Parts: sequence; structure tokens; C-alpha cells
Amino acid sequence: MDSQPTTSPLTLKAEPIEVEDLRIQYGPVIAVRDVSFAVRPGEQLTLLGPSGCGKTTTLRALAGLERPSSGTIRVGGHVVYSSAQRIDIPAEKRGLSMVFQSYAIWPHMTVFDNVAYGLRVRKRPRAEIETRVQEALDLVQMGAYAARRASQLSGGQQQRVALARACAFSPQVLLFDEPLSNLDAKLRADMRIELRELQHRLGVTSVYVTHDLEEALAMSDRIVVMRDGVVEQAGTPTEIYARPRNAFVADFVGSSNLVQGRLRPDLARGGLIALETASGEIVLGDPCGRTPGATPTFSIRTVHLQFSAQRPAGEVNVWPVRVHRCVFQGDFTQIHVAWGDRDLVIRSAALEPIAEGQAAWISADPARCVLLEGE
Amino acid sequence: MAIARPSLPRISAQTIAGMALAAIVGVLVLYPIFFLLQAALDVGDPDVRPPTAYGLGNFVAMGHYAGILGNTVAVSLAATVMAIVFGFVTAWILSRTDVPFRRTLEQLMAVPYYVTPLLGAFAWSMLGAPESGFINQVWRAMGGHGALIDMVTPFGIAWVMALFEGSVAFFMIGAVMKSMDPSLEEASQVIGASRLRTMLRVTLPLVAPGVLGATIYVFAEMLGSFTAALVLGLPNRFYVVTTAIYQLVSQYPPRLPLAAAMGVSLFAIMFVMMFFYRRLVTSRSFVTVTGKAFRPRRMDMGGWRWVLFGICAFYVLLSVVLPLVTLVYASLQQIAVAFPTAANWTLANYRGALTMNAVRSALTNSLLLGIATATIGTALMGMLCWIVYRSRLPGRGIIEYVAMFPQAVPRLVFAFGMMWAWLVIPLPIYGTIWILLIAYLTVFLPLGMRTVSGVMLQLDKTLEESAQMCGASWIYRLRTVTMPLLRPGLVACWLLLFIASVRELGASILLMGPHSKVITPAIVESWFATSSELTAAMALIQTVVVAAAMAIFVMLTRQAAGPGGD
Amino acid sequence: MSNATGPTRRHVLRAGAAIGGATLASRTVWAQAKAPPTKVLDFETNADMAKVEQEGQFVFYCHENEAGTAAIVDAFTKDFPKIQGSYVRAQTGALYSKVLAERSAGRYDVDVIQLSDLSPAIDFQKKGGYEIYQSPEAHAYQAKYLSDPPGAYFWTGVDFTGICYSKSRVPEADAPKNWKDLLDPRWRGAMSCKIAASGLQFVQWYELRKLYGDAYWTAFAKQLPHAFDSRVQLMDRLARGDDKVTAVGEYAAFVLYQKKGADIAFVAPPDGLPATPLLVGAVNKAPHPETAKLFIDWAMSLRGQKFYQDNMNLIYASVRDDAPPMITGARLSEFKLLTPTNLNDYLASHDEFNKVWGAMLGL
Repeated sequence: MDSQPTTSPLTLKAEPIEVEDLRIQYGPVIAVRDVSFAVRPGEQLTLLGPSGCGKTTTLRALAGLERPSSGTIRVGGHVVYSSAQRIDIPAEKRGLSMVFQSYAIWPHMTVFDNVAYGLRVRKRPRAEIETRVQEALDLVQMGAYAARRASQLSGGQQQRVALARACAFSPQVLLFDEPLSNLDAKLRADMRIELRELQHRLGVTSVYVTHDLEEALAMSDRIVVMRDGVVEQAGTPTEIYARPRNAFVADFVGSSNLVQGRLRPDLARGGLIALETASGEIVLGDPCGRTPGATPTFSIRTVHLQFSAQRPAGEVNVWPVRVHRCVFQGDFTQIHVAWGDRDLVIRSAALEPIAEGQAAWISADPARCVLLEGE
Repeated sequence: MAIARPSLPRISAQTIAGMALAAIVGVLVLYPIFFLLQAALDVGDPDVRPPTAYGLGNFVAMGHYAGILGNTVAVSLAATVMAIVFGFVTAWILSRTDVPFRRTLEQLMAVPYYVTPLLGAFAWSMLGAPESGFINQVWRAMGGHGALIDMVTPFGIAWVMALFEGSVAFFMIGAVMKSMDPSLEEASQVIGASRLRTMLRVTLPLVAPGVLGATIYVFAEMLGSFTAALVLGLPNRFYVVTTAIYQLVSQYPPRLPLAAAMGVSLFAIMFVMMFFYRRLVTSRSFVTVTGKAFRPRRMDMGGWRWVLFGICAFYVLLSVVLPLVTLVYASLQQIAVAFPTAANWTLANYRGALTMNAVRSALTNSLLLGIATATIGTALMGMLCWIVYRSRLPGRGIIEYVAMFPQAVPRLVFAFGMMWAWLVIPLPIYGTIWILLIAYLTVFLPLGMRTVSGVMLQLDKTLEESAQMCGASWIYRLRTVTMPLLRPGLVACWLLLFIASVRELGASILLMGPHSKVITPAIVESWFATSSELTAAMALIQTVVVAAAMAIFVMLTRQAAGPGGD
Repeated sequence: MSNATGPTRRHVLRAGAAIGGATLASRTVWAQAKAPPTKVLDFETNADMAKVEQEGQFVFYCHENEAGTAAIVDAFTKDFPKIQGSYVRAQTGALYSKVLAERSAGRYDVDVIQLSDLSPAIDFQKKGGYEIYQSPEAHAYQAKYLSDPPGAYFWTGVDFTGICYSKSRVPEADAPKNWKDLLDPRWRGAMSCKIAASGLQFVQWYELRKLYGDAYWTAFAKQLPHAFDSRVQLMDRLARGDDKVTAVGEYAAFVLYQKKGADIAFVAPPDGLPATPLLVGAVNKAPHPETAKLFIDWAMSLRGQKFYQDNMNLIYASVRDDAPPMITGARLSEFKLLTPTNLNDYLASHDEFNKVWGAMLGL
């Protein structure tokens, strides 16, 4: 750590990260099961999933705060953890930096001392410390608060100081453990954008953990969706959104209707495949290069179903329905319709009044009907 | 970026320190226990060491003294019930109602702990002895016959124990009540239940687990209690297990194997109690999430506020004011009576106490020992807590277990084991102040661990982890983050250890030597061998000196913390 | 020697001069051949005074209460200011077991030990615990007041007991006059005695058993007496009215409390007053051996004996040939003392005493 050159936080050499077959086990409970992913230099990777899925545990293992049971972790090409080679570099020596969910600002120090901590550990000269702390604070618009006691800050201010502290000593990797979840909604939305800009400006490699879908989609270069310790899908936000691999991802990343049916190879055309539902509806959809299994299922996003009172033009994927229920949600209206022998859910921005029991039509672009990976 | 080097296993400074500490704790705690067990199983010639024959004969012989065991349980039960009632009522009043002067009363509730059961036992003996007790003298002067109260009885012992353990119960139950969500009680009141009904139907069941835990803990403490039974029970031929052990050990010829067997039995019972207590307690989480502390809504008691105030004040009166006043009153007389003549007043007791060489050297020893125990103990326990609750050392659970072990062993019994254990070691510490230091550090391990761990567990782990992520080594974090944040807890620990060591009796009375007299056993010896007036003077001098030492310490730490933080 | 009875012992001593006396003489001669006794203050000592100054410390184990023990050490160190004194006090039984425990573990911390009972003293002598030291002051003592053979310990004084009662609680007419009066049911729960570790208590038990048989003590146990460690407690309780009467009313304690103004009375039962010698001896392998010798000489000397007699916390009765009367003007010979004569029987009955006394007190 004392071999760091004196660089300003604005020019960093970002490091790639590789995680291979990471397994973290507590007694009989397997919290993280054979998780693998890679982060390219300068990119932000988000671990997304519901609580208990193992994303925080994985992040902490990356940081060195949890000890995995097996696997390999490499940062910048160097092995920081390897069960095979019996290597486990302690957290303080890995050269990573972390922003915690609770901010973990030290109340007995001033803002300046908080941010300067990492630099003081590395025994930087006083003048350098002062410059870099000021730079870091300015970066998060807390420049004026340097002399303030840390215990006197609001939540949002503490979060910024935590960020400044994490950046001040020019780490090559930034880890974020749900840093925005303790903020209120409005502040969260603003901070999301700020964090993204900061990350771009610094060009630092980031691993971000959140359960908030919007955050993940807005901020990430790539997303890893996790559930129960396993990686469900990894890809860019658009990939994950447009082409979910399975039912869980489909419904977790946005809301989705899952339509299962019998394969009708005779109706397949133009690269699209057809499924016939139990009540006889025919749905055409995009196989996305996947092979249909025994129970082929399409995922159709609720926002991708078009709702109209009149029969729309088009031959394919047009069905008559009856409205069950209508829930006004502000930006959209959620409509539950009876379709065949089941319900479908549609999110529509349409403003026309919809009555319960009304007969209507829905349609879906086959490109938006995505085949899930088959069993 | 550190170069990765294969290492198996990772031997860091942390691991070494941890293992060293574990070894120290193991020796301190387990070594005397081993000797105790060995003595209890010795059925050969008691004068020959090591034992020539092992067997269960001593435990069988204990059957003859079943009465003593019965006494112990009966007195402990009575004392526990009273202590829990005192503790619960005062805790409920002070945390759930709008009693006036709440903050002052809360601070006063800690004073009985400082006043110590010894002073209480002396004072209540002087107040309630059937013939010469002040209360009875006043009673007779008012025309009554005989004695209004008789403190020199098992009830008296239970009473004194309860008064002083009551403050411990108060703090334990109070903590439970403070962490209770007040909206649960409000829901009951909104429905229309009376305050009493709310307390019985809502509060009580919610705090029941915590109260149960406190009950078990207090009962275990009572089983091992020594002071009150020594002062109030011994003269009246009423023995509990601890005083019986003391008698057996100090008579000639001493019946050490029997005493050891009794000690082991008591230890076994207390061990089981402590086991249940820990089961009850460790199921809870202790981390206080920032900003989530409940602000308890206090019930408006109307006119009853002053009655409740009276109840709390009365408790403080009985446990603190009355004993201290009695001792002052007695210490200023030649032969203490309730209605002294003018000629009876004298300062000779204080003159005597202050000039007695034994008192001065005992007091000095106690102060030095207190400072040493508190300082070394706080450091030791701070590090132990860190290892147990914050490190990843394998086997740290065992360390915690061993460190809390002495809780289940009555101090006297422990000292007994230590007496044997250190007699056979070639190190010349037997009979010196060093063995007292070792004894104190050992028996106060649970106390210190509990105090420091309470604060440490409340400390959010991420505060230290973020320092780690900034690159700080173990020692750097300890110095810059952990210690400053723990300071209030460490100061509290120091004070507690200081007081505990100065007022310690059970272990000291067995391990004192000619050059290592300490004040509390000296006071007890004085009670048995000199006049009670002189003893009262000695006890008050001790109280004043200790209070002064504590005040100085608090001032010093406040000054150190004041100008600028860390 | 182990089969000798009381009077025979004296015979043996006088007639056995050829054995004991010769040894004594030869020892003295040998000692004299080493160096003549030094005159210190107003007595003679065989201790090496130069070494005493070097040692500079003195450790005293004593059975007396705190005030008494402190007084002894203070008096000695006042006479020899270069010596720093410290003490441990415990009732004889406890004291003796402490010393034995220490010695069995190889700890030798004691210079001089004072016991209030012949039984542990003889036992200690048998175990070789005493340092055999012939004091030049020994000439002032009859042989019966020295150990047998001499040089282990000596009688630094005699403590004897009658009955004391509280005048405010006991009308003259009801006052006990003799030992048997203590068995009156009116004293039930209002009487005190000493604990089993007390030497004086053992003597009293032994002697009264000789006089009245075991039945006496069985009846005594029914009185549920309160037992205490020191005379101060017994007297305090009488003075305060906590007890009506005490079975161990030491004359010395009575004198002290009468002076303090306590409303108590002393009764010398016509059947006799149990008495125990107070035995002082230098300990073997002492940390400060020369100082120990000096203390023995000091204690044996007229100076020391006067101190023991006159100090209000002690008020011993001296057995030294040329000792002045006690502080009250009385002489030891005026009292009918009961002391054990058959030492072996006395020693052998100690276990029984412990059992009986322990059972009486509930342990």
C-alpha cells in the first residue's frame, strides 16, 4: 500500500476482478454456491437479488471480510483468495475500498479525519493528505464540512462522506454494499445518478450490491442476478430485462406473465416458435436461441401487452379478454384480465377509462414473447 | 498490492495474541478448579499431598450436612424473591411511569452496589439485633416489649442480601423494560384496560423472559453469597454452604476434603443455573441499530406518582441511607446505643482506625491492588472481548465459555482451589499481594467481560470493518477506532473492577498473608475481634477513600476525553 | 516419656537431669562456647544483634485478637526501632492449620508463633517445627513452664476463665455461682462461648469434663450457646446486652471491659477456673532467625513479661519467677486454676473435642 504513486483521484488504474466457483458455507447452510463472475476494468457490476440471496456475503468475501469455503478470487490478476493454494490475504491488504450500508462513519472523528484515515494508514505526507481529502470532499459536494464533527451529519451527508473516504486513497476497486437503501426515495434517485457519474469520472472498477431493481438497471454495466446463493443470470441490463433466462429472473426484473404451453412446431415461422396454451390460445414468440424443453414457457412483460377496447389490427398474438380488475398506480394502470382459463396482468399507460367486466382485446409483439430456458 | 504467498495456516499477530490470551485465561480459571476437584475426591490421609486415594466418600459425608444445603437454598430463594420484587417494582416505576425525579432516582439505584453488602450487614446487625439493635431499643423506649425485628436470623440474611442484590436485579430488568416496544402497552391502554391490568397482562408477559433470566442469575449469586451469612449467620450457628466451607477450612484440624466437596457441589448447582441463564440470554441480539431505540412512553399515574416516588425513595433509604447513617452514628460512640449519653460520644474510634498500622497498610494495599486489578483487568478483558466477539480465531467460543466459568464458582471456593494450586508452584507468590491480584483478575473475568462485551456488541461491526477496508492493520484499528469508541465502556469496566476488588471478601479472606492484608477482610476480622464501633469507623473510612479514588478517576478520564477527541 | 503422667513428669524432669539436664547443660555450654549473651536494653539475648539489624524484619503469628497482636508487635518494634514488624492473627486452631499448610508446601514465612493451647504446641514440637533455642532468660522460669525438652517454647503467660454476666440483664439473685449453674434453662439462647479453634475453650471442655463428666457438656449443648472467635466479642455482647452470660469469661477480658465502663460482673467458680498457657516459640527455618531469637529473649525477660501483664489488650498472668502482681494486684496463685496434667490424654482427646464442639455448633 505504501507503493502507491501520488495520483489524484481523477486518474486511476482500474483493476479487473475474477471470481471463480466461490462457495461460502456456514455449517450446514450454503450461503453462496459456486458463484463465478468477472468484472472488467472500469466497469460496474451489480449483484442483484432478494434478501438472503447471498449477494452481500459474496461482496464481503470479495472484500476479505468473510472467509469462503472454497473458490478463487483474483483482483488485478493477483490471487487474493484461493482455497486450492491456501491463500487468503487479509482485507486490509487487498487494496479494495468499500462503502457500507450503514455508512460506518466514525462519530468520534471529524469529517476530515474520517476521509483522511485511509491516507494516514498509508503514511502519506500531510500536504498530500490535505489536498486529496479536499478533492475527495469536493467530489461529493461536502467540501465545506471538513471540520464538522461526523456525529452531527444527516444520513445523506454521512453517505457522501463515506463515499469520499472510500475514494480518497485512490483504490482500484470500489465495493458498494447497498449504500442507498437507508435514504429516502427522492434522495436515492438523485444519488443514483451522482454515483454513476462519479464512477464514470473516476473510471474505477465497481462491484455494487442492491435489491433495488431500478438502481441496478440504471447504474450497472453488467448485472448478476442471484437467488439462494446461486447465479440465475448474468448480462447487461438490457439483456437481462429483454431476455430473462428463467421464471425467477423474468418476474424479479420487472413484472412478467409466464405463459406455458405445448409446442406447436407446425405453426412455427420466421424464426419464431408457437405454443398452444391449455385453453387453446396460440402464442408466437422468440426462442432467443434456446431449445424448448418439456414445459416450454414464454415470458411476456406486463408492459409489453397492448390493451385496447377495439380489436387491434394484426393476425398474430391477438386475443379477446374480459377485464377482471383495474388498479390505478399513477404512472401506469395495472389491468387484470381473464384470458382463456387464467389471468393475465397488463401495465398500461393508457388513460381511457376501463370498466370491470368490460370485454377488450390484448395483443403482444412476438419479439417480446421470450422463451425461457427449458427444463 | 501484497504479493500472495501460500501460508498454512495464517499465523498472524492476531492469532498469536489470541492464543496467548486463551492460554492465560485457561490457566487462571481451570487450574484452581482442577485442584478443587482433586481435593474433593481425596479420601486418603488429608495431610498428605498429592492425595493417596480417590473416591466419592466426601460427597457421601456431605449428606450429614444436608441441613446446611437446605439453609442455603431456603435463604437464597427468599433473598431472590425479595430482590426480584424490589428490582421489578423499581424498574417498572422508573422506566414505565412518570415518577418525579426519575433521573436522580435512577442514579441512586446504583449506590447500593457501591455501599456493599458488608456495610449493609454490619449496619442492619446494629439496627436489628434483638437486644442491642437500635430499632429494638427505640421500640422498647416507645413502650414495646421484646424485639420488633430480629436481623440476626436467616430472614435477616436474606433481607440484607436482597437489598443489595436488588439493585443488580433493577438494572437487568430495567434493561429489558427499556428495550420493549411501548406501542404494545399503548394498544392495551387504547382498548381501555386500566394501568394495573396493562402491567399485569401486557408488560409482565413481555418482560417475563428477561425477568426469568434475571431471577436465575440473582439466585445463582445468592447461592454463592458469603458476606451477609458471615456477619449475621455465623454467631447464631446458622450456616450456609459458603460459611460452612470457611469454618471447615479455618478450624484445626481443617477438614479440607469435606470443604472441597461442598464447594464442588455448590459449584455444580451454580453451573447448571448459569447454563440455563445463558441459554435464555444468548437468543437475543444486542446490536442497537442507530436511530431505532425505543422511546418508552410513560404512563401517567396521576396522584400515584408521589406514592411511587416514595416507594423508590424508601428502597434507597433502606439500602443506602439508613446503613450509612447507622454506621456513622455507631462509629462516633464508645459503646453504641440508640440513646447515647453525652459522655458516650467520641472520636477515638476514628483515631484508632486511622492510626492502626494494619488499617493503613490494608487500605494502601487495597487501593494499589484495586488500581492494578482495574487497569490490568480492563486491558485483559478488552482484548479478550475483542478476540471472542470480533476476531475469527477458531475456538473463541471456548474462550468465552472458560472466561465466564468463574461466575458459577463462589469466590470463596475458587480461592480455596487457588490456595492449593499456588501453594505447590515454586513461584513465591503465595501469601503475597500477587496471588490476590491473580485471584481478583480471575474471579472478575465474568464481570469485566460482561461490561466490555455489552459495549462492544453495541458497537456496529462495520465501524471496524470500514477501517479495515481503508487498509488499517489490526493494531491500528484497535488504537484509532475500537478503543476510542469503547472508551465509555472501558471506563465503566475500570470503575466496576476497582470497586469489586476493594470490596472483595470471599477470596481475600483465604488468601491474605501477613504482608498482604486488604481492607475488607480486615474490616470483617475487626468485626469479629474488636468492637463494632471501631469496625464501623473502619468501614466508613474505607467507603470514603474508595469514593474519593473513584471521583478522581472519573475526573481524570473526563479530562483526557475532553480536549479534542482522537 | 510418652507414657508419663503429670506428677511423674516433674519427677522425670528433676530426676532425669542426667539426661535432660545434661543435654540442657551441654547445650548451654556449647552455646556459651559460641558467644556469651549480649546485654540489650535491660535483658540478655543470645541473638546476633548485627544480624538482627541486617534482617530488619519480624513476622509474628499469634492467636490474640487484632488489638492484642498489634500491641505485642508494636511494643517489640518500639524497643527495637530498626525492626519492621508484621503479623498474622487467627484463632489458635486456624493459625496452626495455616502454618502447617504453608510448611507442607515449602513456605517458611514465620519467625515466632504464639499459641493458646498446649496441644498444637506439642504437636508442632513433635513435627520439629520449633527452633530449639536456649534463651539466657530461661533461668527465671521453672522447668514446668518450659517445653520438654526446653528450648522449643515457653509459657509467656496464663489465661484463665471464670463466668461473666451482664449486670443489667441478670439480677443478683439469678446470677450463676458455679459452672453447673450455667445449665439452668434460663440461660438458653442467651449464653456465649468460644469456637472450637480456641485453646482456652478446649481446656475448659477438658477440665469440666473431668469434673462433671460428659453429661455436663451434653446439657450445655442444649443451651444453644453462641460461639465467637475472641474475648472482645463475648464481652461486647455482654456489655450491650445481647447475651446474659458467657461461659468463657476471661479474667483479662473482664478487667479490660470493667475499665471501659461495661456493666458486667466476674464470677470465680469455687470448682476451679480452667486455664491455658500462652505458648511462644521461635519457628524452625524462619526467614529472620536472629530476630526470632531476640523476640524470645524479649518476651521472656522481665521487660517483656511486664508488658504482657500490663497491656490492657492482653493482661496475661506471668509465670516468671520474679514477675510482679497482675494489673489488678492479684496474683496467679490466688486463683484455683485447672490445667491439664495428663498431657497425652489431653492431646488424644482433641479430636473428640472437635467433634463434640462442632456438633454443638451445628457443623
